[in-house]
Amino acid sequence: MDRRAAVKNMAFLMGGALSATTIGVFLDSCNSPSTPASGSLFTENQLLLITGVADLIIPTTSTPGAKAAGVGPFIALMIKDCYPADAQKAFVKGLEDLEKQSKDKFSKAFLELSPDQHKQIMDELREKTLADLKVENDDLERKRVEQENDISKKSEKDGLANSMSPKAPKQTLPRFFPIIRDLTILGYFTSEIGATKAMAFVEIPGRYDGCTDLKPGQKVWS
Amino acid sequence: MSNLNTKAVANNTYDAIVVGSGISGGWAAKELTEKGLKVLLLERGRNIEHLKDYTTAMKKPWEFEHRGKITEAQKATHPVQIRDYPYTEFNESFWVDDKECPYTEVKRFDWYRGFHVGGKSLMWGRQSYRFSDLNFEDNAKDGHGVDWPIRYKDLSAWYDYVEKFAGISGQAENWPALPDGQFLPPMDMNCVEKDVKKRIEDKWKKERIMTIGRVANLTVPHGGRGQCQYRNLCSRGCPFGAYFSTQSSTLPAAVATGNLTLRPYSLVNTIIYDKETQKAKGVVVIDSETKESIEYYAKIVFVNGSTLGSTFLLLNSTSEEFPDGLGNGSGELGHNLMDHHFRCGASGRAEGFDDKYTYGKRANGIYVPRYQNMGNDKKRDYVRGFGYQGGASRGNWHSEVAELAFGGDFKDLMTVPGAWTMGLGGFGESLPYHENRVYIDKSKKDKWGQPVLAIDCEFKDNERKMRIDMMDDAAEMLEASGIKDVKTYDNGSIPGMAIHEMGTARMGLDPKTSVLNKWNQMHEVKNVFVTDGSCMTSAACQNPSLTYMALTARACDFAVKELKAGNL
Repeated sequence: MDRRAAVKNMAFLMGGALSATTIGVFLDSCNSPSTPASGSLFTENQLLLITGVADLIIPTTSTPGAKAAGVGPFIALMIKDCYPADAQKAFVKGLEDLEKQSKDKFSKAFLELSPDQHKQIMDELREKTLADLKVENDDLERKRVEQENDISKKSEKDGLANSMSPKAPKQTLPRFFPIIRDLTILGYFTSEIGATKAMAFVEIPGRYDGCTDLKPGQKVWS
Repeated sequence: MSNLNTKAVANNTYDAIVVGSGISGGWAAKELTEKGLKVLLLERGRNIEHLKDYTTAMKKPWEFEHRGKITEAQKATHPVQIRDYPYTEFNESFWVDDKECPYTEVKRFDWYRGFHVGGKSLMWGRQSYRFSDLNFEDNAKDGHGVDWPIRYKDLSAWYDYVEKFAGISGQAENWPALPDGQFLPPMDMNCVEKDVKKRIEDKWKKERIMTIGRVANLTVPHGGRGQCQYRNLCSRGCPFGAYFSTQSSTLPAAVATGNLTLRPYSLVNTIIYDKETQKAKGVVVIDSETKESIEYYAKIVFVNGSTLGSTFLLLNSTSEEFPDGLGNGSGELGHNLMDHHFRCGASGRAEGFDDKYTYGKRANGIYVPRYQNMGNDKKRDYVRGFGYQGGASRGNWHSEVAELAFGGDFKDLMTVPGAWTMGLGGFGESLPYHENRVYIDKSKKDKWGQPVLAIDCEFKDNERKMRIDMMDDAAEMLEASGIKDVKTYDNGSIPGMAIHEMGTARMGLDPKTSVLNKWNQMHEVKNVFVTDGSCMTSAACQNPSLTYMALTARACDFAVKELKAGNL
């Protein structure tokens, strides 16, 4: 019997006195694979899914990949601690969409797909993200030009030279794929496996040589 | 004074009080104790013990929970510190909690602060350049600000003195606008930088030069401190003591004299003025942990609380004689705030060095000293000028990587050395505008019940015009050096961002238009000396800390002579 069924049975035994909300709280605290544990943004299944996607972004080649380097739990922690609510939402929705797409297309959970099926879905995800970003960026650029025209008209009038203020960072919507890709790259190349095996790590170089011969097989310094 | 507890006064009395333990305060403590004075060094923040308290210095990348990134919770308590790159997980405990120490931004001003023993000497960029007579004479020549009361000859021996102790590595170049110093062996340029240097100096016939950065990192063991290990992790505190900081250098020297008392958690709230002697008689300290108020007394007071920290203290030290702040008869205290403007230049890709790489991580770059508005340089539509910092590097950037690429081939490519890139970023002088100022805002209070500083400062047309050349000249030099795909950039610059704020208690010849005389001594309060960045009469375009060190050592020498002569 799964936990959800168990809680429902308990509610029944108690004379159906528990409200749907209370059942929901019970379910939350039961840490079921399909609902997040308390204090976590993600269900157990979603945590596995994050690891799975990270390992497709940085797979095992001649060196171990993202999964072996523990990048999945790192991404979950980063989303929880270092991202605002709108990005957290977009990220969770991205995981849900990925699972739905997998079911719709192949009638299987994402993690059960074959390598070819994974590639197909990930390629589509990347292309769709690029297309969405292009639309959004074009729109932002159009607005920026309009705004600059407004400002330069205004500053001609006011006799102001161009302002030295730093431009606000481009505010694109938070998107699942760029976030998980960024965090996979960061998490992997700063992990012990990524930094020492995929790249070359020297903790205390001790000297600086500005002009060495690049040896065959030399990895980039981490 | 009749009910004063004389024993307590005696216990709280020193020869000298130094306010602040950063770069200049550390120097004041060292010089005054070595000359035999009993010194009380007051620091508003916690103690950070050399080596022991550099808690992240030996951590590996994977030992940082967020791999250097800042959390949403930290963003909420550090709304100013997060505005730019310095505040990271790697040394986040070295930066202030902005909520505890608010200030009023009449215009945006990014104020980066560290409240602890050592101050910003722990996190500084360590670039160390002398000013030249070009810099000391500019104000008098073009009429901006007031004339410096000193010239290069007044300071050159003191530059020698502080460089020999601090340990500055660099290359002598015999460049008139950037005097040579007492250098430790220079760090190496990489092969792309060597090539760019040669091509720039050939094309401009040595009317522009490029040199390795002059940096307060030891390239050989020096003064009992270890040499640089080329980890490029300086801002966490150096476990080898290989760069100049209060902790590695001046504080141990001061402690060794047996004449130093260091008191952390001591926020100096006011300097007490005695109208009978017309001198300062001591300071009022707020214990920053208990908020208890304590008085300390001394024959001389050195004010080294950082440019705006010191200026706040002086403005906050009011009396019948000085209703607008201690020694502020001129009305200039708080005015003439300057910072360098930067984040502007050009970069591109170097070809022909694919078979070359580097070993070790050099915590230093290259430097192109100012060449504008001097010598045979072309006509410019602004006064003063700028220098460039930059360098070449080879990371894992590959031009052929598609946007949002992923997978095994992508991963493997990211582990292979990619293209060489070379960049030049300008650091420009800003002028001492009287209207760029700070003043006390009583409508807010900090955590300790003090009013706050209001900052009203902006860059103007001279700086804006200079930025066009900062981009165009960089692109011109890179293209002349065979660099490909050269792109210019101007990411904007706001006062405060360069963390070179200075000028709000300036030195000058005339007490009517300046706060300090040529010895960094207050014109109107002879036993108070101000030797941090607030004393600067102009900003030049060089990184200023080495000049603060030299001015401090010189002022200490003068102060002790005056004290011994019975003049203070």
